Amino acid sequence: MKKRFLALILVLAISVLPACGKTAEPDTPPASTSAPTEAPEPAPTEAVKTGRAATNELNIGIAQDFDSLDPHTMTAAGTKEILFNVFEGLVKPSSEGEIIPAVASEVAKSEDGLTYTFTLRPGVKFHNGSPVTMEDLVYSIERRWNSDDAAAILAALSVIDHLDHDDTTLTITLSEPSNEFLAAVMNAYIIPAGYDKQATDPIGTGPYKFVSRTVQDSLVLERFADYWGTPGNIDKVTFKILENAEGLVLGLQSGALDLVAHMSSDQTVQLSADDFGILEGSMNLVQALYLNNKEKPFDDVRVRQALCYAVDKQAVIDLAFDGYGIPLGTSMFPSFGKYYDESLTDYYTMNIEKSKELLTEAGYPDGFDMTITVPSNYTPHVNTATVLVELLREVGVKATVQPVDWSTWLEEVYSNRKYQSTVTGVSSDNMTARKLLERFGTTVHNNFTNYSDEEYDTILAQALSETDDAKQTELYRALERNLTENAANVYLQDMADLVAVRNGLEGLTFYPIYVLDVSTLYWAK
Amino acid sequence: MTGVFRYTLKRVFLLALTMVLVSFLTFLAFELVSGDPARTMLGTEATEAQVTALQHEMGLDRPFFVRYFSWLGGFFSGNLGVSYSYRQNVWDLIGSKVELSLWLSLMSFVIIAAVSIPLGVFSYRFTGGFFDWPRTTLNQLCMAVPPFFTGILVSWGFGIVLRFFTPGDFPGLRVDFAASLRHLLFGAICLSIPRIAMTVRMLRSTVISEMNKAYVRTAISRGNDRKNVLMRHVMKNSMVSVVTFLGQTLAELVGAGIVVEQVLGIPGLGRFLVSSISHRDYPVVQAIVVILAFWVVLAGTVADLINQAIDPRLRITAGGGQR
Repeated sequence: MKKRFLALILVLAISVLPACGKTAEPDTPPASTSAPTEAPEPAPTEAVKTGRAATNELNIGIAQDFDSLDPHTMTAAGTKEILFNVFEGLVKPSSEGEIIPAVASEVAKSEDGLTYTFTLRPGVKFHNGSPVTMEDLVYSIERRWNSDDAAAILAALSVIDHLDHDDTTLTITLSEPSNEFLAAVMNAYIIPAGYDKQATDPIGTGPYKFVSRTVQDSLVLERFADYWGTPGNIDKVTFKILENAEGLVLGLQSGALDLVAHMSSDQTVQLSADDFGILEGSMNLVQALYLNNKEKPFDDVRVRQALCYAVDKQAVIDLAFDGYGIPLGTSMFPSFGKYYDESLTDYYTMNIEKSKELLTEAGYPDGFDMTITVPSNYTPHVNTATVLVELLREVGVKATVQPVDWSTWLEEVYSNRKYQSTVTGVSSDNMTARKLLERFGTTVHNNFTNYSDEEYDTILAQALSETDDAKQTELYRALERNLTENAANVYLQDMADLVAVRNGLEGLTFYPIYVLDVSTLYWAK
Repeated sequence: MTGVFRYTLKRVFLLALTMVLVSFLTFLAFELVSGDPARTMLGTEATEAQVTALQHEMGLDRPFFVRYFSWLGGFFSGNLGVSYSYRQNVWDLIGSKVELSLWLSLMSFVIIAAVSIPLGVFSYRFTGGFFDWPRTTLNQLCMAVPPFFTGILVSWGFGIVLRFFTPGDFPGLRVDFAASLRHLLFGAICLSIPRIAMTVRMLRSTVISEMNKAYVRTAISRGNDRKNVLMRHVMKNSMVSVVTFLGQTLAELVGAGIVVEQVLGIPGLGRFLVSSISHRDYPVVQAIVVILAFWVVLAGTVADLINQAIDPRLRITAGGGQR
């Protein structure tokens, strides 16, 4: 009986492929009869590799489509990540996490922090060939500061009081000092004044210029020869959109793609080391089981601490991420250097007894039921939640995972705060530590965890108004400690960013923010 | 003559009604699910004031019926609106995808029809023989294998091992027509497999039940040979249900293509529909849904017309309404 069953399975497995072949015959004799003869000739990946390396081209696979290509209205992180190569602000981020001059050649800040003076870099050209003028700078800043286009407004620029300019210098006066202002200027990408086709045919000043785009399929960039700075190496870069995880792996294996970032470890193990190298960076975000601090039972600090004691971060990283990832203990990650307090990572080490004690003290000796709402399109977060369910079971907490789509998550969890707990990653898109910590202030609009602590609010206010860097750093670290001690959330890790790169392609540079710099990539001779 | 006229009129009316109804239901569904297009567009960094301003700009703060009828008005005057997330004219976005999905569906349909009808008859003729159990298991398997798995198998087998096409690198109909069709062919094969199995099974059981009917017995007893009866009489009678089934298949192929499109990297309509729903890009979703409704009614009409040609009895009731 058992033997027959095995034989059956074997037959079924074998019969699938021939069955596919059979169906092809009636319709297309040319494809199925002529192709086999030419198939065995070239070793697949070699042929493709030399092909694109020879023509100095590059195909990159990405998992989601771009939204608007207008740099002032694009919101998808994946769009910003790639169009980083096309657009620049007066200043831009460096791979070391510094803000460096770009379209402006010099930036000066007044003593009182109220006036910023930008000098227009001579010789900067747009991709259409025309030189960048002061009119373009003013237009670009104003569009993000106070235009009618609601989607283009950048909240962080609302501190601007007025602009003054002559032909080469732009002076921006603020109504109050802001240590976030320069980071916001970074996102006020410089575009030609009055040009209204940015959404479909974007023009910027970056090292790569836009060539074409097919919605849900691809985006093509070309090296911009007249770039003012260090130009790119590769002539033509095509981004292929493949939402399906298997599709991306197949694309790499078939030779259609040369580079894919943000892969999972189970995707990378399918790739042969003969063809691909796997580089490991960090996603620069704080992945945690975020708790709604206003919702029962998480309004009790003992319950939150109990969860922290119940969860072994390394177990999560091992089980859901094959060991890739850096454990975190607070809302800060290592890329922030001096702001990051590593000692907080092991503040809670797994201790089931202690966890149960705390739960009993809080009035839940038998645990409780809870829901973890996760955005279903982020597989890593869904996997993490699944592991957490198992870990929490140890202390009697019965958690259930509730996957919702991104729009629903954004509305119900992030905006309306109608949830118990969620797994997500919080990042700082403008490279400021402030962005990570400010959101836990009681009255802050994006405090989606409803964290509320008087001491925290006091330190936060001090930190934001402090002008001395060393003192401010100390205050930020105090905020991190406060979050850990009060177990604001069950902090997990800074996720690893695994990038598959075809052998021969070199120069990949990791940034502390979510961008993929194409200009440093090159095919080794 | 009046019969044809009335038939056409009835069909056009049915078409308009379906499209309006479907668009209304889609609109309503989005009203009921959570997730706001303005908020989705602005992402996590948005302030409430920004969301409100954008909602106003997009006209989302108007009452439900006002929004629906303004969309409907635009639709009947040929204006499908502007996509929220792409900020482009909807028709400019979906035009090429409609074309692609049409090719994919038609190719897949041709494969299904060309393979399953002979195979169905063949499988009837061999009923009860030694090949019965492998045939049934293969049939069951083809029906049960999920499309994403077929997609992976086909991509791996034909794309990576045999290199008939390059998974993940769809050239585009305008760029390289022949290569695009070859790529689409493998998508069509993935789509066809479960449906061929279903059609074969259905055809076989229809033929079996027809063969047991009295007229077959009479024909055979009058000296006609079995094969002749099968081909001349039984097939004709079995075709009506097969054509109806194939009509339904044609209608659902566009929607069924979603997964295959994703795995093989074909930028078709199904894939676009899914991503537009998750981005709450209503204008795009509405347009695609209405196109799908149009396609379903059209496929039904074509099946109906073919059936009338096969079986004149159907013509009288369909054309005249009542005698």
